[in-house]
Amino acid sequence: MNCVQARDRFAELLDQRLEGPVSGDIRTHLASCPACQREFASLRDTLDRLDALPAAKPGPRLRANFYAMLEDEKRSAAAAAPVAARRRPTPGANVWRWILSPLAAGGLLALGFVAGHYSPQRTAPVTIPATSSPDQATQQELADLRKKVDSMTQLVGYSLLQQQPAGERLKGVLAAQNLTQDDDQLITKLISTLALDSSTNVRLTALEALYQHADKEVVRAGVLASLTREQNPLVQVSMIDFLVAAKDREAAPTLQEMARSDKFDRSVRDAAKRALVQI
Amino acid sequence: MIADLTDFRISSGPANARLARHSNVDTTSPHHTDHALMLAVRDGELDALGELFERHHGPLYGYLGKLTGDRLAAEDIVQTVFQRMLKYRHTYRDDGSFTAWMYHLARRCAADYFRKHNAAPAATDPADLQEYADARPNAGDEAGISDDHAFLHRALNRLDRDDREILLLSRFQELSFAEIAGILECSVGAAKVRAHRALRELRDVYFQLQKEKTT
Repeated sequence: MNCVQARDRFAELLDQRLEGPVSGDIRTHLASCPACQREFASLRDTLDRLDALPAAKPGPRLRANFYAMLEDEKRSAAAAAPVAARRRPTPGANVWRWILSPLAAGGLLALGFVAGHYSPQRTAPVTIPATSSPDQATQQELADLRKKVDSMTQLVGYSLLQQQPAGERLKGVLAAQNLTQDDDQLITKLISTLALDSSTNVRLTALEALYQHADKEVVRAGVLASLTREQNPLVQVSMIDFLVAAKDREAAPTLQEMARSDKFDRSVRDAAKRALVQI
Repeated sequence: MIADLTDFRISSGPANARLARHSNVDTTSPHHTDHALMLAVRDGELDALGELFERHHGPLYGYLGKLTGDRLAAEDIVQTVFQRMLKYRHTYRDDGSFTAWMYHLARRCAADYFRKHNAAPAATDPADLQEYADARPNAGDEAGISDDHAFLHRALNRLDRDDREILLLSRFQELSFAEIAGILECSVGAAKVRAHRALRELRDVYFQLQKEKTT
């Protein structure tokens, strides 16, 4: 056995988990080759030092955050369970649905046809008189109305979104995370989710999705505004980490207040203190 | 993306774990295997994750701390790993190995972290050093040992992330090479070769640092 062959098999001598008979040839070679002895000893020495490295211990905030997250998930699961049970159909009901649904649909169709045919008068379509170019005041009024309708639509859209189960909302946010282009509407939705969603998981995922837009002032302002109304320490700490990563100096006054105030969890106060050094 | 995160299979876990699957698991019992506890979590007994956290968060934190070189980042990633365990609990398989699954998730979370920060391990914040300063009475006597550990940490941080990762998995986490190969998505033979090559690399960097110190 030469040096190259012997060194290829040093791993077997060094790591006792590597099974297989260690050839006596390697030991014979080692006994007679000072260069391989040095190579082997240096590897052994490195391995011993590596194994002697002390294990670092995490800080207390990790445990606190974990159990806060677990409790939150348990609450979400408990809230979702009755809904899931209500939705589960019984086998008997399923059969009746197959029989009755087409009959009901057919009946409704026939009723509609008869009512339409014997209707006493038919209304002509309403025509809107064409107007000449509206004056400036009207245009302004129309623009204001459009803005109101838009914001109302957003609010309604968000309310509808909130009615979906947390899993569906999470999927929506995860899909948003994969979109890289700058879409103001998408960013607004993500910030709204971060501020208003009832599920911690969904809020955390929204925050994760916002990382790629952290260079935008509106995003940093949105996270900072959400931080002041957030109740969960886990999300609060994650938001602080976000503001640190974004190097948002605007956050300093809020963080100072959080670091001082007793109404926040200790892990949050510690995170705020660290953030003040890092920003 | 979810499939990518969780589609992971590794050699079979203990057979008796499957027996516990549909029974109510006493989640505080030290006698239950990790696999049985995770199956209980999957079946809705979320408290069982607390026992898994208590068993594994320390070693996982150690691994991630050495991998990222950043204590706070390591804590955040541990939190994310357990968060994803809850989120993707329904994808845990009957024939799974919990530890390997956990490190598979940890590896993905760490990759996300590195992608976001787009950097090698960060320098230690001096404020952190002060916070974690060794205040024991005989700390001075142990300065030499700490110095040695600091060199080894620096050497580890200078390795490629892949080399660092396989060294940490093979030396600190009590994983078999079959499990490591599953986590790294390579053959068992390749995992062994990579671990040995990484050790040689660490040795070279470490002695180079020692040499620079003495000159």
